[in-house]
Order: sequence, then C-alpha cells, then structure tokens
Amino acid sequence: MLPNWLTTTEAYEPPKGGGTFAIKTMRSFGHMMGRLQFQQGHEKRHALPALVKFFLLVLAIVFLSWTHQLVALLAYAAVLLLYLSTWPPQDIWKVLRGALIAVVFSGILLAPAMMLRPEGIPNNLQLVCKVFLTVMMVSIFNHTTQWNHITGALRKLHVPGVVIFTLDLTLKYIVILGRFIYDVLTSYSLRAVGNHRKKYKSVGGVMGITFIRGANMSQEMYEAMRCRGFTDDYRGL
Amino acid sequence: MNLLELQGISFTYPDEEEPVFTGLSLEVPVGQSLILRGDNGSGKTTLFRILNGLSFPTAGKYIFQGTEITEKYLRDNGQAKKFHQRIGYLFQNPDIMLFNGKVYDEIAFGPRQMGLSEEEVAKRVEDCMELFHITHLADKAPYHLSGGQKKRVALASVIALNPQLLILDEPFAGLDGKSKEDLMTFLQQWKAAGKTQIIATHDEELTKRLGDAVYTM
Repeated sequence: MLPNWLTTTEAYEPPKGGGTFAIKTMRSFGHMMGRLQFQQGHEKRHALPALVKFFLLVLAIVFLSWTHQLVALLAYAAVLLLYLSTWPPQDIWKVLRGALIAVVFSGILLAPAMMLRPEGIPNNLQLVCKVFLTVMMVSIFNHTTQWNHITGALRKLHVPGVVIFTLDLTLKYIVILGRFIYDVLTSYSLRAVGNHRKKYKSVGGVMGITFIRGANMSQEMYEAMRCRGFTDDYRGL
Repeated sequence: MNLLELQGISFTYPDEEEPVFTGLSLEVPVGQSLILRGDNGSGKTTLFRILNGLSFPTAGKYIFQGTEITEKYLRDNGQAKKFHQRIGYLFQNPDIMLFNGKVYDEIAFGPRQMGLSEEEVAKRVEDCMELFHITHLADKAPYHLSGGQKKRVALASVIALNPQLLILDEPFAGLDGKSKEDLMTFLQQWKAAGKTQIIATHDEELTKRLGDAVYTM
C-alpha cells in the first residue's frame, strides 16, 4: 500500500532565490562538451596524411618562433585567415576564439613588461602575434585531423606505445566521462527543487561517482582488451 | 482533464538536419497510464527530455497543467523548481541518478531540497524504502549495489518528491523476476491512487496489465 502522503497532491511552493548551482553547472558543462565534440576532427577525404600535416605543423611552429620579420608574421596570418575563410562561420569562430583567448592571456602576462620597458613593446607585440598564430595553427590541425590518425602519426615517429595508449584513452574517456557527468548533473537538477543547503557535499558526490565510474571503466576495458589478445603493445587505428 | 498536452511538436537537434520526430500530438489525462512504444532511435528519450523541460520543441507546443512549457518559462528559477517537483523521471540508467554517499541520503535528497523537517524527511525515506524493500540497504553506498537494487533506490529517490506525473524509461531493463513483480505492484498502486504515469517499455505484460493507452512512435 502507498503511504498517505504519496496519495495526495503535494502543494509545494519552492523558496525564492538560490539553488541554481546545478543548472548553471550543467549549462556550462554542456557548452564544454560541445567544444570537446568539436575537437573530434572533421577530416576531408583527400586531405594530407596526418604524419605530413604533423611535420608541417612542427616546421611551421619552428619557423614562426625563429622569424623576427613582421612581414613574415603578417604573411603567415594572411595565409591562415584566407584558409579559415573557406570554413563554415561557426567553425571559424571556434578556432578564432581559442586563439583570441590565448592572445588575451599572453597580453595580460606581458603587460607589466610593456609598461616597465616601453621600448620593448614591438617585440612583445610580436610575441603575442606568434602566440595567436601558433594556437590558431594547432587548432586548425586539431580540427582537420582525426585523433586516431594523429596517434597513427605518432606511432610512425616511434613514440612509445604506452604514451600513445595513454593519450588515446585519455581523450576518449574525457568525452565519455564528460557525458556521464552531464547526465548526473541533469538528474541532479531534476531533483534539486529547492534551496540546496549542502551543495558542496553533492559536488563531492558527483566527483566521487565519476572517479569510481572512470576507474571501473578503465579496469573493464583493460580486461576486455586482454580477453581479445592485447599484450600491452598498443597499435593505434 | 488533461495533465499534459503535446500539440504538433517537432524536434531537431542542433547541427543535425533530420528531425527526431515531427508533428507529434498527444493528450494525457490525469490518472492515465500511457505506454510509449517505439524502436531504438525513434525519439522516446528525446520526448522524455522535452516532457521534463530539459529540451524544447523546435515547433509545436508542450502544455503542462494548462501552462505552456517554454525555455523562457523555465528560466524563472521558481517556476522551474515547481515544475520539476511535479514530474518524477526515472532514467534508463540508474547509475546517473545516484550521487550521494548512502542510500538513505540519496532518497532524502529530494525531501530535504523541499525544505521538509528532518522528521518528515525520515518518514518519507522510511516509507519509500519499505515500498521498494530496500530498508536493509539504508547505510550502503549506492554504487556498490546491484543493477536491480540501484533501480529501486533511484525510483525511491524520485518518488520521495511525491510527483504528480511519473515518467519511466524502460523501467524493467536489467531487472530480475522478483524485482519486476515488485515494481509492477508499485505501478499498479500508483495507478490506483489516481496518479499519472508515462512508461517507455517493450514489455508486453506491463502493457497489458497497466496500460490505459498505448502510443507508438
């Protein structure tokens, strides 16, 4: 038999104010997940092999750090922006946003130096410009190359299997665990119908179960891989 | 009198061209047990997200107790809390519903949110634990429980809010015979109390014993 309170209609009036913690966290997490999914890479069928792109990226970054010619930096920027202009607007914004955040961050770090030594401003601005271009190139590489192709390229460069394995699993599990946390926060927000007196305890709970979930998943996956013949020698796809 | 009404709703996920469903209309009167059926990917979970105010239709209207539920309406924190208290949602995967250290605290989470006194909270928690035969698990950590036990704890934690509408996504998935029978008994009592439920299930017996109406997606 249902208890009496369960057979009646609850006349509930939520307290005013507060209690938006779960919803806000959930929204920001949702945005973050969107960004992570964006980083899966949208590779074109006839794109350059990941290894070649990787070499080109490293070469470009080395060249960029060596150059002291403003014209060269501007030429770099022009080429990259021209290439970016062929992309869909939302993807352009995602790439530029990361680069602009890096610019702001490096600008803040260099601001005291620029104020104390005004004669060094051109050099500092060049440095900020290099940060912008480097982040943009890495972001473009990341966006146009699938992760499994990157790990394949690293393997060809004789990077140890265990490093690639760790990188591969980390990226995959960040997305999976991110989705899990998002779902937990969703269920949390549905039951958070009032003012939460001990919200940090619940945050601890969410972090705790995510940690346990992560540990269980990695153990289960390792066991499943052993059952399918995995001998600690990882070969990326 | 309808508890909720869907008027020609459609839904398409951002960045996708194909809609999940289009022109879906549905009326659920107070006290009805509606069974929702459909293949995997037919949009049942998306529909549940809409009913819970987690997603919003790209076209059409969702009306709950005479009020249109929109993103703007739920942006008001007070309205959102009131709305969520009235709808209890059991996710298909109970793992995501259990985030407290003990089963007791898990079930007490909702009533404590509602600002009930600790005596009232204790009464509700004990009643819910008795209802789902989980009193002996009160001090256990939810993540150590079996799949069936987790589902019971998750349902008990939803019921503790005393919602007017219960939405269950594949409630029998992963349950053994005894747990199924216990859950079936509870759902029949829920129905007998004149409360509304919407259940997504492929279970023929549940449909036969409980369903007032069946909607196939």
